[in-house]
Amino acid sequence: MSGIERILAIAGNTVREAIRHRVLYTLVFFALALIGTGVLLASLSYVERERILQDVGFAAIRVFAVAIAIFVGIHLVHREVDRRTIFTILSKPIARSEFLLGKYFGLLVTLWLQIAVMGAGFVVISMLAGAPLEVAHAAALGLVAAEVAVVVSVALLFSAFTTPMLASLFTAGLWLIGHLSRDLRALGAQSESDVVRRATEAVYRVLPDLSAFDLTVHAARGLEIAASDVVMPLAYAFGYATLVLFAATWIFERRDFR
Amino acid sequence: MAPLAVRGLIAVAAVATTVAAQASLPVVPAAERPEARASTLRFGRLATLGFDALVADYRWLQAVQVVGHERADLVAAAPALATLVEAVVELDPWVDHPYRFASVLLTHSRDQVVRANRVLERGIAYHPDDWRNRFYLSFNHFFYLNQAEDAARELERAVELPGSPRYLGRLLARLRSEGSGGLEAARTYLEELLRQNEDPWKQAEYEKALDEIETEQRARFLDQAREVFVKRNGRDIQSVEELTAGPSPVLRELPPDIHGWGWVIDEKTQQIVSAYYGRRYRVNLHPIDLERREQFSKQATGSEEGESR
Repeated sequence: MSGIERILAIAGNTVREAIRHRVLYTLVFFALALIGTGVLLASLSYVERERILQDVGFAAIRVFAVAIAIFVGIHLVHREVDRRTIFTILSKPIARSEFLLGKYFGLLVTLWLQIAVMGAGFVVISMLAGAPLEVAHAAALGLVAAEVAVVVSVALLFSAFTTPMLASLFTAGLWLIGHLSRDLRALGAQSESDVVRRATEAVYRVLPDLSAFDLTVHAARGLEIAASDVVMPLAYAFGYATLVLFAATWIFERRDFR
Repeated sequence: MAPLAVRGLIAVAAVATTVAAQASLPVVPAAERPEARASTLRFGRLATLGFDALVADYRWLQAVQVVGHERADLVAAAPALATLVEAVVELDPWVDHPYRFASVLLTHSRDQVVRANRVLERGIAYHPDDWRNRFYLSFNHFFYLNQAEDAARELERAVELPGSPRYLGRLLARLRSEGSGGLEAARTYLEELLRQNEDPWKQAEYEKALDEIETEQRARFLDQAREVFVKRNGRDIQSVEELTAGPSPVLRELPPDIHGWGWVIDEKTQQIVSAYYGRRYRVNLHPIDLERREQFSKQATGSEEGESR
């Protein structure tokens, strides 16, 4: 069995385990309910109702996709350690890094399935409300999936060395900061102090720039999207998640489970 | 698992990909683009946690509820509405209607109109091809701030934009006639429009406007003759024909009215007008608008005096 096969086997098990998680269904239910609520909210306005409907729908998908990533992601490693099943798995010829990558890809596939379900709900509601649906909407959803790939890698990094509670706090915090990192840099750039400018620039380089994955405004308003607006964030997500997974496996390989 | 060398290569590739991709991401937040001159809540966006559009929608719905309330006091609510709309366009500058919503509702003081104009300028920055924001900005400059030149400048840009209605060209000519260039500026502008435009409907509109300008010039000539008549006779004319009557008439003959309807004295304004148009060539201002203009002008003088102190 090659390394990739072992990773895929663990990923498959992770998907099976994750879809049994009741929290996941509850969150998806609330997400679909919120997407539907967009119709009511939009009806309060006398103009641009379709835009409001889609803003609410996209926001619901983004929030709940990340919520699922955090709540399910942080438990993945901890549960194995807590139940002592990790010893059984690692006693087999499986590297710790393969175990962690398997968990990562398993959860990612699960989350992408959830995004597909929520996306289908969004499409149905939009069609019923007569709101326009373009390729840009698919691109926006694709970038939500890329954002989730980054968030899951961060959740896995924190869950590799700390408790689920702390891991969820750290991941949620980094997600929030990740959406503000671009603004923080812009704020720092206005400073007269060179130290502050360099510091905010450095912080921006290290923190994830999650606003790069937000094309929902463009989609809902029919704004033009260049190919680079999609390709570059995808490349960024790939590179950033890979680096975070490197850090996670480095820590996980040195962790003492006793 | 992969040997150290392979891991190293993957890590280097990941760093290179991340750095290269990040370098191509926008440098400044989208809603802070330099073309957006009016930015009232510059970093208020930090509190939205990345859900700018959703918070903008919420603020917009709040604004709509304020205006739509059956006992809404729009004068008292105007400052709150201004804050709400400014938040909306700051958070989501790609909205469409809120720009003009602000322009219609923020008209109770000079400061409000200035705020509405800033909102409209932001709308123009983000919707440069939409003639309506420029039209509303022009309207505010002329009707509320008494700035005919600024109004004409904005309207001139609106006329060139796709979808702008045919009457804009004629309206602009009228605005031009109120500015320092007077009727000649309006005529030159219309002739230029006529030369450039191939749309027969628009051409017909511009030709009508040129007729109006010609009529106005003849009416102004009659005004001068009327002044001479008053000086000579110590009284005003009872009818326009008096200008050519008597032993020493002021005029040998009246200039012909383009439409052949002749000249009359308007009962309301006591001005000489073409019987065809029934009014003089200028932008019509209701007495209420004139009164408001004066009031806003005093507010402007008051605030300037306050600043100088």
